[in-house]
Amino acid sequence: MSEKKQQKIKIWDGVPGYDFIEEIDLAQMPSWFQDGTHSIPPVTTMFGYQWARFCGHGLKFACTELSIPTCKGWEVRILNGGIYCALHVVKDRNEIAEREVKFRQALRPWVEDFDGLWAGYKQELLSIYSKLKELDVDNATNLQLYYHNYDLMHAYMRMWEIHFMAMYSSFNTWLLLETMTKEHFGLSDQDPEFQDMMRGFDNKVYQMDKKIWEFGQLAIEMNLKDVFKENKPQSILAKLQQSEKGKEWFKKFMDYMKTDDVGGWRMRRFTDLNEPYWLEDPATPIGLVKDNIMKDISYDLESIRGEIARKRETAIAAFLNRVPPEEKDLFEGLIRLSGKASSYSEEHDLYCELFVHALMRRGYLAMGRRLAEKGTIDAPDDVFMMNPDEIDRVIMVPESHDMRWITRRRRADWKEAHKRPNPPMITNRTSIEEAIRLDLLPSGDAIALKIVVGEMPQPKPELKADLWGICGCPGEAEGTARVVIMYADLKKVRSGDILVCPSTNPSWTPVFGLVRGVITDTGGTLCHAAIIGREYGVPTIVNTQQGTSKIKTGQRVKMDAANGAIYILDK
Amino acid sequence: MSSDKLIFRFEELGQEHNNLVGKKCANLGEMTRMGLPVPPGFAISIAMYRKFAERTGVAEEIYRYISSLGELKGQNITIFDELSHNIQGMIEGKEVPEDIRKMVGSYYEELCNKVAIPDVSVSVRSSGTESRPGMFETYLNVIGIKDVLGKIKKVWASAYTSRAIAFRVNKDIPVMADELGVAVSKMVNARSSGICFTVNPVTGDASKIIINANWGLGEGVVSGAESVDRFVVDKETLVILDIYIGKKAKQVIPQKRGADWDDVPLEKQSIPCLSNGEIVAVAKLAILLEERLGEPQDIEWAIDSDFTPPNNIFLLQTRPAKVSANKPGSVTDRMIDLIAKRFYRP
Repeated sequence: MSEKKQQKIKIWDGVPGYDFIEEIDLAQMPSWFQDGTHSIPPVTTMFGYQWARFCGHGLKFACTELSIPTCKGWEVRILNGGIYCALHVVKDRNEIAEREVKFRQALRPWVEDFDGLWAGYKQELLSIYSKLKELDVDNATNLQLYYHNYDLMHAYMRMWEIHFMAMYSSFNTWLLLETMTKEHFGLSDQDPEFQDMMRGFDNKVYQMDKKIWEFGQLAIEMNLKDVFKENKPQSILAKLQQSEKGKEWFKKFMDYMKTDDVGGWRMRRFTDLNEPYWLEDPATPIGLVKDNIMKDISYDLESIRGEIARKRETAIAAFLNRVPPEEKDLFEGLIRLSGKASSYSEEHDLYCELFVHALMRRGYLAMGRRLAEKGTIDAPDDVFMMNPDEIDRVIMVPESHDMRWITRRRRADWKEAHKRPNPPMITNRTSIEEAIRLDLLPSGDAIALKIVVGEMPQPKPELKADLWGICGCPGEAEGTARVVIMYADLKKVRSGDILVCPSTNPSWTPVFGLVRGVITDTGGTLCHAAIIGREYGVPTIVNTQQGTSKIKTGQRVKMDAANGAIYILDK
Repeated sequence: MSSDKLIFRFEELGQEHNNLVGKKCANLGEMTRMGLPVPPGFAISIAMYRKFAERTGVAEEIYRYISSLGELKGQNITIFDELSHNIQGMIEGKEVPEDIRKMVGSYYEELCNKVAIPDVSVSVRSSGTESRPGMFETYLNVIGIKDVLGKIKKVWASAYTSRAIAFRVNKDIPVMADELGVAVSKMVNARSSGICFTVNPVTGDASKIIINANWGLGEGVVSGAESVDRFVVDKETLVILDIYIGKKAKQVIPQKRGADWDDVPLEKQSIPCLSNGEIVAVAKLAILLEERLGEPQDIEWAIDSDFTPPNNIFLLQTRPAKVSANKPGSVTDRMIDLIAKRFYRP
């Protein structure tokens, strides 16, 4: 290939505009950290482009609006389907001091009324989404689809702005509480005593779980138990249509999916757009109803949750007893606010990522169908191998364009990327420790520290464990390992297994009701697996780095989660 | 200095004697040595308390009692009240041994002779090796050797106030770790008293002197309960930059024994309790102290009506100023402040 053509190829590479190019990006920012929480398995071109552009924007937006003193946001790039982030650390002392003045003002309303602000932003998002829903994508003109591309990007941009405003403000209080409890009482956020104070909140995730559970109870009442017990989710749908009772149940179920403010607008997979949302494929939520029915009759979600909430109040009261009287108000306020951080962390996905991704899938898939009909691409979902600019180019007159040379090559590259893991870090520093010390820690960035990169495990040699992680939810567990890399393989998980995975996300939540323990490769104490582990009382160890590579499905493993220790019993 | 000496005149002490007699006594000694106006008095060493505790058997008694209770951390807060009540009872219930009585008696008598007042009125204050503001007790206007000995025991016992016990338990400091020295000083016949910061404790601004003052004894300012006068003096030029006259409805004044809150006569409530000359004189002393001690100071002072200017200002104690430690504000203010300082200061 000639030099000239080589350069042209670059423009049309994996994620145009956001491909990680070592000579350029590493020269500008010395350390890039993989966001393992959101990019295992590898992301598609469409998703990587949108994420790099707008998630990156949202981070910069929030760091500017909140005037985070030591960080101006993150730069995001994509390499072989992996998401990499570098932090814009503020180093000049005067600049930090100036930013702090505004930071104090900007943080105040969030400290004073987090719930009120979040409720307002939720409404804003829901109204943006309802406008997007108004477009009948199947009968839209090419011009309408052209505009829809931009409307989706606009919605995505706004979603990330709101997402990070709330996230930065809430995580700061969590970090402060952790720092203060560590200092005064030797209590870190990995301790059971700390975590017990942060569990059992009534938020949208729990409300939806409860609704699903109630639909299970309703099915039992309507004598439909066997339909669910004896069939796979896909055939349950067909079987339900064969009886009046079944039709009645299904209609009620779909009414909820359509009329609830979130309902079926929920992606099955957290990141990426290449798997269906609930309303598109009701077999996913039906499968959850089935899981509930398969459980023991005595399984009572509400009483389990009530118990955890009561335990929380007891734990808070016991802790406050240890606090000197003059510090009581401060600690009590911090505990309440940190509870909101935990709750927001769990709930926001439903109003932010999972919802808008469902709308994006719906819109872009409609464009994909239009392009596939005219032969521009091979199949509708090849649209996920394009970026929005390329859609802009071809959507008005699709019959005049052939994009298959790009989509085929990118699909092949994307499949290839699944075969090999991406490095956890790309840096020109001399060691991982130095990269963390110079390019991560000085940012003071709560999100980087607690979710995306996470704290590093501290092995305790005397325990002679095989693998180390961070405690997400304390407790001991022993069982058969089930290594799950893709959501699609989650159905192989059996009751009593220990789930071993790269990371979890809200679409994985229901599996926590099934397993004895959870081990993840990435994440910190505020990552999804840790939060849900605590909600469900399932021993959870996060950020093991190599859980999925060291542990094999079928091996017996033992977890001592409070110590972050994992033992592989069959070697 | 002889190691078996258990009691000292202030002029025998300096900052290096912190471990011997506690911070307050050591600082009073240092100020006396510097030739600053400090009321005369003496310091009872921490070793004296140990001698008392061993000789009377109360040390063992407390130790056995605490050991019998097991792990205190995590227990209900009411346990601290119970502990405090019991241990203070043990200490206060013991007779002061004869030799200690004699030692204290002779120093008290010497003080009376020095100021030529029989049974001179003194203050009896705690002096620990660690700064623990507000944890331990102070007794004012103590008269006669019997009262002095009784109040010394009470100061020793104040190492076991419930707030002090709770503080140590929560900080993993052994329950018996705080042993106190005692400062006994001649009471100033205070017309006005107050505190003086050589740095703004809220903003950290070190270019100005801040003086808070009230009529009567210093406890009328320190407790923070009443509206008081506030003066700001430029450190460089000694110009009085700001005068705020508080409505001073209450003051603390000596009673027959001890001291207590009393009404301020109406005509004195809204006039400044310091003259401009006195304001500047206090500021000058504060600047001198800060320079000599090498860091910003938090000073207690009083104007003695038995003396005439410029010899009527006395310094009662000084300690390093804690910026923002006493910062008032809502829980929200504190959270924002802590977040900004903890996470985003390089």
